[in-house]
Amino acid sequence: MPVNFRVELIWQEREDTEAESIFLTADGRVILQGRGISAQEREALKLPRDADLISVDRNLIRAIKDML
Amino acid sequence: MFLRNHWYVAALDEEVRERPLGRTLLGEPIVLFRAGDGTLHALENRCPHRQLPLSMGKVVGDALQCHYHGLRFDGAGNCVRVPGQDHIPQNARVRTYPVVERYRWIWVWMGDPALADPAQICDFHWLQDPDWGAKPSYLHVEANWQLIVDNLLDLTHLAFVHETTIGNMALVEHAAVKVQRSPNGVLVTRWTIDQPAPPTFVKVGKFAGNVDRWQIIDYTPPAFLRLDVGACPTGTGAPEGRRVGGISMRNLNAITPETETTSHYFWAQAHSFEPNNPDMTERIFQQIKTAFLEDVAVFTAQQRMIDLRPDAPQVDINADAGGIQARRIVDRLYREEQEAAAHATAAE
Repeated sequence: MPVNFRVELIWQEREDTEAESIFLTADGRVILQGRGISAQEREALKLPRDADLISVDRNLIRAIKDML
Repeated sequence: MFLRNHWYVAALDEEVRERPLGRTLLGEPIVLFRAGDGTLHALENRCPHRQLPLSMGKVVGDALQCHYHGLRFDGAGNCVRVPGQDHIPQNARVRTYPVVERYRWIWVWMGDPALADPAQICDFHWLQDPDWGAKPSYLHVEANWQLIVDNLLDLTHLAFVHETTIGNMALVEHAAVKVQRSPNGVLVTRWTIDQPAPPTFVKVGKFAGNVDRWQIIDYTPPAFLRLDVGACPTGTGAPEGRRVGGISMRNLNAITPETETTSHYFWAQAHSFEPNNPDMTERIFQQIKTAFLEDVAVFTAQQRMIDLRPDAPQVDINADAGGIQARRIVDRLYREEQEAAAHATAAE
């Protein structure tokens, strides 16, 4: 299936700091790159069991503020 | 909105020979001339006597002579002769601008002369690199400089504005674009894999089948855009860095604001294949020039609409990502420049 037009945004505060990607999709969604939360983490942190959760670094938050 | 503490391209080197050249940059009239020994000078293009543009005059020895009453000014902006009198008024002088000749272009620093550092001039070495064929050119454009930057950072218009030259629908329907924003730059990268080559590429690259095509746009503020573009036959490894059996070109752009609604557009097309074949250089140049004139028609029409209603709302789409990031950098640099100027004024 062909890729529809899609934009990946990457923010660098300095040469050596690169935030994870922000993807803008053709259907209007904003997809953030992060790390999935394991069952053990959900249990330890008392997080919702069934929700789709990701952990993102603070650079990505700054990128969202600055780029979107 | 202009950023002043930057080098701007003022002219092609070949535009300034025996005769002076007048050109307005960032709303300021400037005259470029070469002294008798070839040294380049940039002065305010206004005789302090009766305001005639000095560019209407002529070079006499190392000085520029006003066409109206013959006052002469040296490269340091000092009046060195007033016909008919020995006394030269103290205030008979004009502003000077730091000027550098590099990459077949003439660069002028438009801000505080104390900050002018030629090392900051954006790299356009392809214009005089023996491994590349290149032809520079100039267009006067009736549009704000940022409309041109927006255009160059937006790749999706190629499918519509340049349908018959460098674009095709594959560029919109099958493309993934990466926009990397650094503190003072934007890099837009797009690979189009296993798609037909556009008409211009077929003509110069003689591709028989599908290609892997790259477009990498490097933006440096205020308005320098260096495009690395090319294509290789699909499956030969270009996305992994092996550019063999295809074509590679650089599209080089330097936009200098003239006024808020007009711009000087310096551009060039460079190619790494057959670099010493002037016929090839000319052929590629003409192909790309056709595409450029298609763009000029677009942003001059945009400017006419903006002039009619400057506050008309605009809608952003995903394809604007590069241009939006470039504008944010320019806005930040403008704020910083204004704050520094206010600080300096307060300190005086």
